[in-house]
Amino acid sequence: MVKFGIEFVPREPYWKIVYYAIQAEKGGFSNLWITDHFNNRNVYVTLTAAAIYTNKITFGPGVTNPYLVNPVFTAQAIATLNELAPGRVVLGIGAGDKTTLESVGVEMAKPLTAIQEAIDIFRRIVGGESVVYNGEVFKIAGASFLFKPRGRIPVYVGAQGPKMLELAGKIGDGVLINACHPKDVEYAVNCVKEGVRQAGKKLYEVDVAAYTSFSVHEDLKKATKAAVPVVSFIVAGSPSVLLERHGIDFKKAEEIREALKANDWGKAFGAVTSEMIEAFSICGTPEMCIERIALLLKSGISQFVVGSPIGSNVREAIDLVSEKIVPHFQV
Amino acid sequence: MVLDYRKLVTTISTEKREILSKKLVDLILTSKNDDRMPNQLANAMLYHWQHDALKSESGIAVLLEAVLLLEPEKTFNALEELQMTDIARQVKEAIEG
Repeated sequence: MVKFGIEFVPREPYWKIVYYAIQAEKGGFSNLWITDHFNNRNVYVTLTAAAIYTNKITFGPGVTNPYLVNPVFTAQAIATLNELAPGRVVLGIGAGDKTTLESVGVEMAKPLTAIQEAIDIFRRIVGGESVVYNGEVFKIAGASFLFKPRGRIPVYVGAQGPKMLELAGKIGDGVLINACHPKDVEYAVNCVKEGVRQAGKKLYEVDVAAYTSFSVHEDLKKATKAAVPVVSFIVAGSPSVLLERHGIDFKKAEEIREALKANDWGKAFGAVTSEMIEAFSICGTPEMCIERIALLLKSGISQFVVGSPIGSNVREAIDLVSEKIVPHFQV
Repeated sequence: MVLDYRKLVTTISTEKREILSKKLVDLILTSKNDDRMPNQLANAMLYHWQHDALKSESGIAVLLEAVLLLEPEKTFNALEELQMTDIARQVKEAIEG
């Protein structure tokens, strides 16, 4: 049976995020993901507050990156959270966003190696080892905790490109696939399967999640209006190969990119087409969303993550997912 | 004049409490005046929500206190829409002091 996860961006104050997290837990969601960007509120403070007010939902950063946050620090934060909510904590880690990293003068060097090494360091130190590491990206002279970490913590790898997806399947306990369209998800799951095969594992041993941009409302126009800003940013950040796969005009994508750079929101959002919304979001009435989720499930995903914007009114949208969508997949 | 929110809530009929609670939560969650929310009230709201008690007397008292800090005008309008004119008047008098 598919699990439902939900993502929140801590641009909102902790109490709003935690309110929604409690609501999601009550509504049958099994996973809570909080994004990690330096320009929003801190992910671990937000997760701590969520841990205190929830009882069973599994949670973690979705996703942190090893460039801005050293894996030793990540291990410390996650291991401490696991004391607060034993068995409910997971780590979501990915290479991060190139533009964001560049804005703070950090180069996204050797992303595959960086992720592989970061996960290795994380697992070893959380496993109670004293770590000496001489990797290509990370060098650690000797690091260990002065406290005893509790148990093994699953690691999810956030991935989009074929090589990272393959690596995620190979070394991850879970994969967070950044895609919404069945074509993209199917392609991604095939890459994950290759990594799983190389590791001698079975696909069911890995929690494969579609981490989507999602917007639901009983009124399609309202659902679409909420999705447009998020889709405009996704289009602007998409590589040409992805735009081509969905038949999206490069000129229109460039127009959006330029308008966003100039903070001309009206122009950027106005240039978003229905094809872009179709390709880069799951958006519509509950019935329409059910249809799209069912298509994604055929690709072999085991978790569906409801990501930003969720809906024009987040509280109502969570209720819609809990009352109309989740039960449909629990029969 | 300091308003006794708990006492005020006792004057609201039980059948209206659920709809009032939902309305107040919506005003709080959609408010742009997040910085006006004191953390004790935020934590009290979360505690009541976690324990399914936002429509209890103490839960509505917490919501009323918070929403009046975040969205006073919208709160008066909401109370009037819900035909809680007397509550709206008492709240207005207390706040205008």
